[in-house]
Amino acid sequence: MNGYQSSLAGPAEAVRPWTVDADTSLQAVLDQPECHPLVCDSLTAVASWQIRVETPVRRALTSPRVAPRWVAALLALGASVTVSGGSGSREVELALLLESRAAGRVLALHIPPGGVGRRWGQACVARTPADEPIVLACAVVEMDGQTVQQARAALTGVWPQPVRLARAPSQLVGGGLDEASIQAVASALMQEVEPRDDYLGSAEYRRAMAGVLAWRALEQCLGGEGGGR
Amino acid sequence: MSGDSTTCVTLTINGEERTLRVGRSTTLLDALREASYFSVKYGCGVGDCGVCTVLLDGQPVHSCQIRAADAAGREVTTVEGLEPVVKGVAGAADVAYLHPLQRAFVEVGAIQCGYCTPAQILVAKALLERNPDPTEREIREALSGVLCRCTGYVKIVQAVRLAAARMRGAEEPSFAPVEATLAPGQSPANVLGEFYRARPLDAPLPPLVISPPDLEAMHVVGQPDVKVDGVKLAVGRPVFTDDIKLEGMLYGALLTSPHAHARIRRIDPSRARALPGVRAVLTHHDVPRIKYASGGQSYPQPPPFDQVGLDDKVRHVGDRVAVVAADTPELARRALRLIDVEYEVLPHVLDAEEALSPGAPVIHDEVDTEGIYDAQRTIVHRIGADAGVSAAAWARVDHVFEGEYRTAQQQHANIEPHVCITTWDEDGRLVVRTSTQVPFHIRRMLSPLIGLPVKRIRVVKPRIGGGFGNKQELILEDLCAHLTIATGRPVQMIYTRHQEFTSSRSRHPPVMRFKIGVTDEQEVVATELELIGDTGAYGTHGLTVQMVAGQKALTLYNAPYSKFACDVVYTNKPTPGAFRGYGAMQCFFGLETLMAEIADRMGWDVVAFKRKNWIKLGEELLIAQALGEGREGFEQVIASSGLDQCVEVGLEAMRWYQKRGQRSSDPDGEAKGHIRHGIGMAVMLHGSGIAGLDMGSATIKMNDDGSFNLLVGATDIGTGSDTILAQIAGEVLGVPVDDFIVTSSDTDFTPFDKGAYASSTTYISGGAVRKAALDVAEQIKEHAASMLGLPGADGLHLRDRQVIASDGTSLTLAQVALSSLHQHDQHQIIASASHMSYTSPPPFAAQFVEVAVDIETGQFTVERVLMAVDAGRIINPITASGQVEGGLQQVLGFAHCEEMVYDQSGRLVNPRLGPYHIYKCNEMPELEVIFVQTDEPTGPFGAKSIAEISMDGIAPAIADAIHDATGVWLREVPFTPERVWRALQAL
Ligand code: FES
Ligand code: FES
Repeated sequence: MNGYQSSLAGPAEAVRPWTVDADTSLQAVLDQPECHPLVCDSLTAVASWQIRVETPVRRALTSPRVAPRWVAALLALGASVTVSGGSGSREVELALLLESRAAGRVLALHIPPGGVGRRWGQACVARTPADEPIVLACAVVEMDGQTVQQARAALTGVWPQPVRLARAPSQLVGGGLDEASIQAVASALMQEVEPRDDYLGSAEYRRAMAGVLAWRALEQCLGGEGGGR
Repeated sequence: MSGDSTTCVTLTINGEERTLRVGRSTTLLDALREASYFSVKYGCGVGDCGVCTVLLDGQPVHSCQIRAADAAGREVTTVEGLEPVVKGVAGAADVAYLHPLQRAFVEVGAIQCGYCTPAQILVAKALLERNPDPTEREIREALSGVLCRCTGYVKIVQAVRLAAARMRGAEEPSFAPVEATLAPGQSPANVLGEFYRARPLDAPLPPLVISPPDLEAMHVVGQPDVKVDGVKLAVGRPVFTDDIKLEGMLYGALLTSPHAHARIRRIDPSRARALPGVRAVLTHHDVPRIKYASGGQSYPQPPPFDQVGLDDKVRHVGDRVAVVAADTPELARRALRLIDVEYEVLPHVLDAEEALSPGAPVIHDEVDTEGIYDAQRTIVHRIGADAGVSAAAWARVDHVFEGEYRTAQQQHANIEPHVCITTWDEDGRLVVRTSTQVPFHIRRMLSPLIGLPVKRIRVVKPRIGGGFGNKQELILEDLCAHLTIATGRPVQMIYTRHQEFTSSRSRHPPVMRFKIGVTDEQEVVATELELIGDTGAYGTHGLTVQMVAGQKALTLYNAPYSKFACDVVYTNKPTPGAFRGYGAMQCFFGLETLMAEIADRMGWDVVAFKRKNWIKLGEELLIAQALGEGREGFEQVIASSGLDQCVEVGLEAMRWYQKRGQRSSDPDGEAKGHIRHGIGMAVMLHGSGIAGLDMGSATIKMNDDGSFNLLVGATDIGTGSDTILAQIAGEVLGVPVDDFIVTSSDTDFTPFDKGAYASSTTYISGGAVRKAALDVAEQIKEHAASMLGLPGADGLHLRDRQVIASDGTSLTLAQVALSSLHQHDQHQIIASASHMSYTSPPPFAAQFVEVAVDIETGQFTVERVLMAVDAGRIINPITASGQVEGGLQQVLGFAHCEEMVYDQSGRLVNPRLGPYHIYKCNEMPELEVIFVQTDEPTGPFGAKSIAEISMDGIAPAIADAIHDATGVWLREVPFTPERVWRALQAL
């Protein structure tokens, strides 16, 4: 069901970042064989074929309400963007762009390569299976053997736009990934979010869901190497 | 076209290079419609509904989201451009002419109103070009961007599968209804065969039609005929209200209130009037103050008459303030922004219970409204009725159970918005072309408002893009007419989607308190229902919806004593009105949930408990006489019921007793993880028309070739009523549906009918058609007898387009027609008949659902729905199952997610189809439909109604299933994740 989506086995991991021109439509992104399963899932889950055809990557990134689920997946994957500025173009983290800490016209999107130790998971709650999630959590963990090298979590529905939460997942880095560490991160995430009430759910509910869903997304990362469970 | 500067755009449309003059911001949707590609529809203008879909270089896009200028040099495909298999103009029955997708859509019954059909077909075309053999899931994913409010998507998906198989040359899947006739003494549960299903399958099963052993066989009635309007809808012909352009037509626009409650202190239209191209601006100073009620009901309409065309007071956000007519829609919208309005904002109330409390704002303080029960306390109506002897009944009761239930304000979300075009004809009569369910009521109601006698008004109903009750109302017609009268020119008015939410109608959101007394022997001996009905800013259907609610809820278990007490109150919300289910479905949620809870608390088998108490064949509807619809009712007795069989067959098909009470994580497993499965059920009844009130009529006229014109006032709004009425006539006259030219609902040319509401068309209008057909049949036989030199018509019968004598001699109907028109005893074979009924025989049904509940988030998924229904004899199993499937989609939304939510100022926070959310194709559960036929003695060929009953039991069945899965009872609809989660937290 929609509230619990595990990733499918991914393609062989690329060694270079996957770069997509910002004028590319979301449908063209989906149609590319390199499209990461997390990205594919998040594009097909809610955005219709028509929206995917008519929405270029640039618009989806700068108006993240168009495809919040996809943006959350990108945040969790650690995506960056090339933006043009007064002094030429530069690459910045997507998270910074969304937090309005970087400006400029988006020229390209880059999704970093993942090694064999990359694991990911995604979980959400929505009114119905094809409705926009009330809260969604996306987690990506880069493992080196049994040790977490990097951990990223992104959520929708706990801020006005998709957000990458840095503090709580960083607790995992350098340690192992197990039920206890996941629980600690999920609890910390609940404290880190600042949801607001709206007609889909109260702040209290959203905060509780942030914990539940982050736990589930991370728990999927406990699955086999190379992908979510 | 936009008022901004124009440019020429050259693009290829359906293989033909076209240069269009467009404004810089003109959408591709507007440009295509301006160029007469009318198959491309407007549904929302913001990318939510998908009915504007066209293919741009072979890929589906929302034409409302693309600027026409951006399509320059590109290839656009609309449904008009689909290559037919056979060149030429396809007639109504020429499905073989069509592109395989269009043909499949017609053949499997994927088209109801047809408003979404062109978009569905185009998306399917694009899909099959990418993937000629898609899975059901891939089809559903592809189609998920086009909303349909009529079909439940079942037959749309089937049509795509059928077309895909044909186009690949593969074996064609069959979706034809399955028929099963019972042997004497055989239980319907024994014929299920393939309906046994342990786990969800990939594809749903076709409808099953079960006949009792003694049901007479028919030739035309009961056949899965294709809809008489299917071909024209599939090829995208311009058949809807807005699919015409009249010379000199102006565009109307409505200014609505930004406040929930305010007095208009000053309104100055002078700046708007000064704008070049603006032809009229009307405010309350310009429109006569004539009181009316907007609900399209029979004469005399129920009180109160609490509306006027344009008022100096507004009572909800979205209420009417002023109207404009201008040369273009953009100019009209600009003019609205130039109208200066000074409001005195008044205190408002949004909650019905608060409205009843002392000191609440008085919403109707005007002196000229009559018929409000207590205007100072905002009580529009106080309704009370009971049946039986209270003291005697309560004295027998061993246990008393009470429950309070609430349901939300649901919007119809008809995909075609309200739209109307008015114009003067050459005789100085006003022609009103409008998307309505009630053309004859509109004509009568409009007359005093615009100061024209009925004889100077003609109302024409084209094809309607869905109504569901929302178009049983005078919404735009008076304003549009005022603009035509003011300007002397044709005027078109269409609601935006936002206005559909704020300024049309919706479902009444009641508060219901049930009290049920039972004995230790599981007998329900007393039922009381206290109801607070919230009618929003105006009364319209406020009285009748609540009366139907009480009548249906108190009839299902027909307790020896029952009592109904109801206050209908005003609030400052957009006005609820008629909506499929009409009060009954709200109350069945409360009633059936409480019945299930009683069984649970008493440790009784819920099915046995209900079966012991539900109303049975031969029993009188005890409350029906005291509680009619807007007035007292009539004595009625159940003359047909298949409820026992519906439940029996449903229990077996669902494997009820194997699954109930398992609370398992998967259908066969243990309770582990965070998912729990549950199964639930509800039973229900509805009505067939309004007893003693509804009247329909029909005229049948024979043509030279033995074909017939069937003229009906009945209003096909996508339900297929034109088709089933032709089948009823065809059964009598011995001809196929193809021999009828059906004309419905033009007040100049068709006889009166009350319109499409109250589940009345099959029963009431069908009764009229049958009578007219019997009369025509007699005329045919008499003429044939004289042609054959027989002394009389006895022994003649009609079959296969012939009149056949007992000795086998025969004449074709064409011979009879030619003779009667040209040769011998010349006269037109023609008859008209009317029909009304003092009974409203209830169809019965049982609905079953399976759910999976996430106990950590509160989200649940409906995995399977089965409805077993007794609607008497099924006239057409395709259209009937389509009615059920579409209703199920709507009620799933009602139970699960659909809710108009307001902020504190009274503004709707989700007035868009996206955030509001109606079920999409890729999230529908399996829907299964089983018809348990009975033979209703008062119905045409034994038919009862089918249109509304599918709405009645899903909410309580889901509540029952969630309880089965988790142990919590939900008492407020919709069951949002947070509501379920909170209930689980409180366990
Ligand atoms: S009209 Fe374009 S999506 Fe609704
Ligand atoms: S048939 Fe799809 S909206 Fe009516």
